[in-house]
Amino acid sequence: MDITHSEHKHHESFISKYLFSRDHKMIAKQFMITGFTMGFIGIIMSVLFRLQLGWPGEKFLINDLLLGSWANGGVIAPDKYLALVTMHGTIMVFFMLTAGLSGTFSNLLIPLQIGARDMASGFINMLSYWIFFVSCIVMLVSLGVEGGAASSGWTIYPPLSALPEAIPGSGLGMTLWLVSMALFITSSLIGSLNYIVTILNLRTKGMTFTRLPLTIWSFLVTAILGVLSFPVLLSAVLLLVFDRSFGTSFYLSDIYIGGQALERFGGSPILFEHLFWFLGHPEVYIVLLPSLGITSEIVSTMSRKPIFGYKFMIGSILAIGGLSFIVWGHHMFVTGMNPFLGAVFTITTLLIAIPSAIKVFNYLTTLWRGNIIFSPAMLFSIGLISTFITGGLTGLILGDATLDINVHDTYFVVGHFHIVMGLSAVFGTFAGVYHWFPKMFGKMMNNTWGQIHFWITIVTAYGVFFPMHFLGLAGVPRRYYTNSSFPMFDDFVNLNEIISIFAIIAFIGQFIFIFNFLYSIFKGRKASQNPWSSNTLEWTTPVEHIHGNWPGEIPEVHRWPYDYNKPGYEEFIPQNVPLKKGEVESV
Amino acid sequence: MENNLSIYNYEFSENKKAKEPLLWIGLVSIIMFFAGLTSAVIVSSTSSTWKIFTLPNTFWYSSIAIIISSITFQLGYSFVKKNNLLLPKLLFISTLILGFTFVYFQYEGLSYLYQQGIYATGNKSTTSSSYLYVLTVLHIFHLFFGIISLGVVTTKSLMNKYNSSNFLGIKLSLTYWHFLGILWLYLFMFLTIMMSK
Repeated sequence: MDITHSEHKHHESFISKYLFSRDHKMIAKQFMITGFTMGFIGIIMSVLFRLQLGWPGEKFLINDLLLGSWANGGVIAPDKYLALVTMHGTIMVFFMLTAGLSGTFSNLLIPLQIGARDMASGFINMLSYWIFFVSCIVMLVSLGVEGGAASSGWTIYPPLSALPEAIPGSGLGMTLWLVSMALFITSSLIGSLNYIVTILNLRTKGMTFTRLPLTIWSFLVTAILGVLSFPVLLSAVLLLVFDRSFGTSFYLSDIYIGGQALERFGGSPILFEHLFWFLGHPEVYIVLLPSLGITSEIVSTMSRKPIFGYKFMIGSILAIGGLSFIVWGHHMFVTGMNPFLGAVFTITTLLIAIPSAIKVFNYLTTLWRGNIIFSPAMLFSIGLISTFITGGLTGLILGDATLDINVHDTYFVVGHFHIVMGLSAVFGTFAGVYHWFPKMFGKMMNNTWGQIHFWITIVTAYGVFFPMHFLGLAGVPRRYYTNSSFPMFDDFVNLNEIISIFAIIAFIGQFIFIFNFLYSIFKGRKASQNPWSSNTLEWTTPVEHIHGNWPGEIPEVHRWPYDYNKPGYEEFIPQNVPLKKGEVESV
Repeated sequence: MENNLSIYNYEFSENKKAKEPLLWIGLVSIIMFFAGLTSAVIVSSTSSTWKIFTLPNTFWYSSIAIIISSITFQLGYSFVKKNNLLLPKLLFISTLILGFTFVYFQYEGLSYLYQQGIYATGNKSTTSSSYLYVLTVLHIFHLFFGIISLGVVTTKSLMNKYNSSNFLGIKLSLTYWHFLGILWLYLFMFLTIMMSK
């Protein structure tokens, strides 16, 4: 009995197809919709606190409408400002750029690009999504509880996070944050297990590791980073829960609240920082690597050239992944760290520049003299290369202990990580959506609107984050509700206004994407099977989705995925096309 | 041939192939979880307020119980592979009893500590005592799932569901059980060293 579409329909109800689906393609869409919705909420938060930073103390109707009691009279309350900053960071880093990005594209592309019918375990995959969904709900519910949401920053350093009585946001809101994160980590872990096992075990015949698309390599290393680092964060969170709820003192010692000494001895908040950043730095690459993989694929396809230095690209992904575990101390240079240890962390951090630079050079060399098609996906990929360079350069400054100490906890840091991690990952996400939209929905997105979306996004994104470096160099601290009490920062008031204006335009610009996305799903031009003339296996599946991906045999792989304009051969040669007589494989 | 199977048969065969590596990578994540916790112990032990105390003897008894349970489980598995299906039933039941024995001695050990004034939480607790309780209880938490899987294996064995060509469930449960045994021995050694520093 063949796996036919009609037979498949027979087995599926609305609930099993759209809600509790085990089909990786549907789960990818679920992750995308949920992750993007969370991202949208996170971005709204940033616009609201940018209003406060641009025009401190001014009343805004939008604050009244959206924040209610958090902004009595249209001005955000100082403690709620901290809650907004905390929740923005949490939502964007974890819910949008980790689950939204990796959950979407790992789910969509891993089985399709390696030639598998589905993930190793469809059930675990489904479970991963629904646990993620519940974690989102818990996090959003925390916005509405008494005292407000968690307010100690997305890094939730103790003691603010460890003592419910510390600040308003340290109460139930913080507890729900921890519950949500425990669920999120569980979802992320079981998802990662599934991705790794699928890639290792379910590759189709001929799909050797040196024929894997770079997207798959990046998803694999991302999943490995998740499996190795998220459990450590879980252990940190667990100890924090014990400190909060059961009276232990893992992170607490010599604490006074309201002049009263608490009987908490022997712990250290620095311990939490160690545990947190052991995840926190690999997390940067959990966010970044999928976008870099997506970019590799798109840059090669849209340049109509083989990716330059394929094996070096693989080596770079592995090197970045490995090094990411031994650099966490650079987040803690000002904690009184032994200078020798600081020097070690400086060296390991700066070493990451080498594989990163290899990747950048290989992207540029692939683009060089390519027959470039400036599709929205390609534009966002080039945008990513740009932000990876500019953000990476300031990373060199922050990776050096002697330089970092001068700008620690200033807007320089905010500008740096938003560009290198935030923008790069967001650009990679947009590139991925534009490129694989035909595979997800069987329709094409509008090219013109995509181009407009790109230009508005890149100009405004740099408009927001580039000036922050100057604020940081001048010493303007991050997370402050207002700097109006510090005359030395008066000269930067206008700059903050400009940043906020760019942020508002950037936010409005995203509606172009939302419109294009939704319009194209329903009214978009019907996609052909392989609209980008690409070589990877996902484009050999039918436009209409079937569970199992291929109606007949799974294609066998005979070559690497980057045979574009191979001298003497066709313009592009899909991976399932056998080598011709006398043809030498490119890798 | 894959394309001659229905999608549901296909999923089943794929799942079977993937179960073992799924377990192994899951174990890696548990190792990282406990690595995080034990690293925290090492960092905290440098504090001047770090208190030392002797671990209860019952932890030795529980260690012996879990070692023997691993042996009985392994023997049962070996017999099933040889299609000798009677002895495994007894061995799996023995393993289950030894599993509960382990938990009992852990409970006894923690009760003893409590009676000695070594508390997990509260004003009279210390960081070192809190760690001791957290690590042992978290290990028992993981063991709880091992006991459930062992219960399933024992029940299925009593219902003659396993034979020399169908023993994947036992193998998975056995791997997890061995892992828990090794994990406990590591924690016991680690705690013994750290609590005497």
